[in-house]
Amino acid sequence: MLELFRAMMKEEYRLHSTLFGSLSFTLFPVMICAIAFMGTFLIPLLRIAAPSQDIGLSVHAMFLLMGIMVGAFGLLGKEVMNRRFGQASLLSYSARTLPLGDRFIFLNFVCKDTLYYFLLWVFPFCLGFAIASPFVGIPVATPFLLLLTTTLAFLTGLAWVFFLSSAYSRSKKILIGTFLALIAIWALVFFGIGVNLGLYFPPLMLFHAFSLPLLAACLILIAVPFTIAIFLFTNEFGESEKHYVSRISPLTKRLSMFPYPPLAAKDLLDIFRSGAAIGQTIFSFLLPLGIIWFFLSVLGTTVPQGDNLLFFAMTTGIISSTMYTWLTEFDTYGAYACLPLGVPDVISSKVTSFSVMQVIPAVFLACVGVLSGSAGTLIPALAVWCGIAFYTLAVTVYLTGLSPSVLVYSAKTLISYGLLVGPVLLIVTALAMANPWYAAAALLLLAPAWWILRAGKQRWATRDQPVF
Amino acid sequence: MPEESPTGKHGTVPESACLTYKSRKAGISLSVSGAGPPAMTAVLEAQGLSRSFGKVEAVRSVSFSVDEGALFGLLGPNGSGKTTMIKMLTGQIRPTSGSSRVLGLDPAADPIGVRGRIGIIPEQETPPSFLTAEEYLHFVGEVRQISGIEAKAERWFQFLEFEEKRDVLCKDLSRGTRQKLMLAQAFLHDPVLALIDEPLINFDPIMQQKVKDFLAGYVKKGNTLFLCTHILEIAEEICSDVAILNRGDLLHVGKTAEILRDGKHLPAFFLEKVGRASHA
Repeated sequence: MLELFRAMMKEEYRLHSTLFGSLSFTLFPVMICAIAFMGTFLIPLLRIAAPSQDIGLSVHAMFLLMGIMVGAFGLLGKEVMNRRFGQASLLSYSARTLPLGDRFIFLNFVCKDTLYYFLLWVFPFCLGFAIASPFVGIPVATPFLLLLTTTLAFLTGLAWVFFLSSAYSRSKKILIGTFLALIAIWALVFFGIGVNLGLYFPPLMLFHAFSLPLLAACLILIAVPFTIAIFLFTNEFGESEKHYVSRISPLTKRLSMFPYPPLAAKDLLDIFRSGAAIGQTIFSFLLPLGIIWFFLSVLGTTVPQGDNLLFFAMTTGIISSTMYTWLTEFDTYGAYACLPLGVPDVISSKVTSFSVMQVIPAVFLACVGVLSGSAGTLIPALAVWCGIAFYTLAVTVYLTGLSPSVLVYSAKTLISYGLLVGPVLLIVTALAMANPWYAAAALLLLAPAWWILRAGKQRWATRDQPVF
Repeated sequence: MPEESPTGKHGTVPESACLTYKSRKAGISLSVSGAGPPAMTAVLEAQGLSRSFGKVEAVRSVSFSVDEGALFGLLGPNGSGKTTMIKMLTGQIRPTSGSSRVLGLDPAADPIGVRGRIGIIPEQETPPSFLTAEEYLHFVGEVRQISGIEAKAERWFQFLEFEEKRDVLCKDLSRGTRQKLMLAQAFLHDPVLALIDEPLINFDPIMQQKVKDFLAGYVKKGNTLFLCTHILEIAEEICSDVAILNRGDLLHVGKTAEILRDGKHLPAFFLEKVGRASHA
């Protein structure tokens, strides 16, 4: 058990440090610690605008989301490994070559993810907070409590997504059924009795009022889905051959208005045949945004009523930009390297496909606007979403080229992303708070987005493609 | 190959082989003639090519040239730098120093131009996961703007005997079938020059023989082949010229016939050269 666990930890570290460089990757937790340290000094200022409870809520929501994102890798992990690493294999897929059972390996994988990402994200964050807290008058015990509750929030996200991933590996129907049941429960409680379940998120409640029964409840909330996930886990993802009628030529003809019709046709087939159209839309788009809307609606005292949709549109814009990551997950540039296609050609094609996929967030945002009774600010919200989505997309392309999902862990990339996107978000936030219609100026971001995108294509055209 | 070979006629570069996707879409025509220069003209030249990855020097100042109509074998043990060489010559990576010319073009400066004219089989077969085998060949046909792609793809399916796998997703194909697919895509546009990395390694002996015959026939038609391999018996059988690379250094370049004329076999010659270099 311990040997495999240690080997998996080493493997994860070496994977990341090989991809991003040892120094860059080692600096990543240091950077998280530094951000938390500096952020703690802002707490007295934030308290003027937002109650402490809302700050706590935001932090716990962030770690819940982080757990969900880390766990979501389990959903498409096998496919991603196949596509990105080709002949390489990770220990988690070695059950067939080692005398070890699938569930035993999965259990180690779960433990490894828990400890690894705790050390990478949760601990550095709480350490930064702990170092700074004496200077801003925060009680000594609070950082320790935060370490416990954010860990629990992170593990809750991880456990539930592992559970859903395992359910998916058994049956898509179980996955969809569970997902719909969770939404139905939330909707019933929210719309039926007007209670925000976010306020009853056990790790958050534990942070505000520590008690042993509540701690036990948190642990049960984590242990139950983890246990079921391990029980349901199977390494057999239905590997039977699938047969398809040839669609590429007719699709290429239909998409002739696109700059690279064969590439657009391929993107479309990739998205639908991989299951990403449903899986990624649910796990990487609807689920995080649902949770964000959920917590945003709880922050009613901080965010002026009616403006929620604008802030939600900003978040939707950022999450929409990650759809570019979906499109680049299917293959590395190696798949195109034997064809007369340059990196800028492939990027252009992916950006075009990305633009078409923006129908999903546009419709989603419109639905949220109408259903939440915020239709009055829907037009500026759509403008905010559009400007932010394409601006952050351009920044992503500039910084990561065709490898956004792996280069994101580079500290240099993340800092650059923060510096390029952060000030823009602050300006749009200020405009939104001044007047919702001022925020519509976010559409002007399309101009720098176009320029950054062009620079990004030139930048990656002259570089060797990273090999994974 | 069957009578109606997917390979182009002797010495002729089909129009589809000459232009990149964008230039064809824009209606730009390039006038590259494969009939071109007489025999013994170098179609591929490397001058002091070096490539480092961090502190590791994968290839050190390698120079050679490949004449038109040659079947040039680049031999070397695992990790000798063969794949790095092929990547530099096809513009997939840039050299740290030195230069090269492929069909008169510099791969570092015009990688797309080079890849538009040549056929490539990469070391690791990487057809897109969610296209079927048939769709992948059609995709390559669309990108390279090859006319009559359906018929050409069909001939390759029949020749390499994997018709029954045409509608299977590439990710579900066996390694051998994926390699067949990569072989087909490399020659689908009738290139005058192909750079292929270990093209036979996953084939059974019958298919190996069939592909060897095809490669020999391809060269007989006046085309040029640059083959990376560490299967020395195959190299001895089909290569007109060989170069030996070891730990990034070029140990030998010359005619295979000259080695055989001295009463040696290529495997023994190779082991002698590499062994001597390793002990040096």
